[in-house]
Amino acid sequence: MSLFELLTLTLVIFASRYLFLEPALPLRLNRHLRGMLRYAGPAVLTAIWGPVVFIHGEPGRFALALPELAAATLAALLAWRTHRVLLTVTLSMALYFLLRLW
Amino acid sequence: MNAAPLPHPGRRLARGAVAIAPLCLAVVPWGLLAGSYAVSAGLSPLEGQALSLILFAGAVQLVVIGMGQDGASLAAMLLATAFITARHLLYGLSLRDRVGALPLRWRLPLGFLLTDELFAVCTRHDAPAFDRWYMLGAGLVFYLVWNLATLVGVVMGETLPGIEALGLEFAVAATFIAIVVPNLIDRALWVAALSALVVAVLAAHLGIPGGLVLAALAGMGAGYVTEQVAP
Repeated sequence: MSLFELLTLTLVIFASRYLFLEPALPLRLNRHLRGMLRYAGPAVLTAIWGPVVFIHGEPGRFALALPELAAATLAALLAWRTHRVLLTVTLSMALYFLLRLW
Repeated sequence: MNAAPLPHPGRRLARGAVAIAPLCLAVVPWGLLAGSYAVSAGLSPLEGQALSLILFAGAVQLVVIGMGQDGASLAAMLLATAFITARHLLYGLSLRDRVGALPLRWRLPLGFLLTDELFAVCTRHDAPAFDRWYMLGAGLVFYLVWNLATLVGVVMGETLPGIEALGLEFAVAATFIAIVVPNLIDRALWVAALSALVVAVLAAHLGIPGGLVLAALAGMGAGYVTEQVAP
């Protein structure tokens, strides 16, 4: 990879992260957009984890696989009851690996 | 909420570092992979490390290394990168009110460090009301862990066994589930998450590019409409 390629890619990624943090960017968020942003966290993060749990194979297709399904369910239950991230991740990963080995 | 004076900046840094620790754990195998994959794809160790130091974007790094190996053009890499990285625009929008009000010397580093994981800890239900030191602490620790994991991956190179097969993706899924679920405290938030889930899975199943951002927008729209119509 050339230095030019690396710098170009860096620019695109940094721009996507920084663009809307720049106050000089003339952008006023209206009431509706502001209201939608309340849901950005759960929506984006769910859009990331959803396909990991429900899409399998190459090319990826919707499918139910026991390790992902069971471990994701356990993670959701633990997160709901305990609100503890580390505990949730550790136990659900343990179940996940156990089911994969088995 | 502004009764007590804020604790020392060091304490707030540390609080952010602690908050992101579980997410660091889940990303370590990915860092190892980013390092070893770069070296086994023919990049020099320095180039492999530079990707993590400068790009600091796991999914983009892996895709770009793979594309480079296949001899893809820069234009193709940029297009793929734009699709993957577009979600960061939403994070920037969400944090605009808070980070945008800070001086440039804060905005630049916080913007550079703005990953999925950093956004996740900043939107946790029990995260402190926006605190720049907390965000900086979390971002720096995540950056450090990502780069240390990459370094180990670069050094181990091809001797690292096929960690792709271990189901590393699920580690990240588990952390995001752990963060999202406690946040679902009203009907509109549930609708937002479930809508995003359905659209994301459907888009992936149909092979629609940019499905992630599409799903996120659908979830945000559905949540907001629910809040307005049937809170």
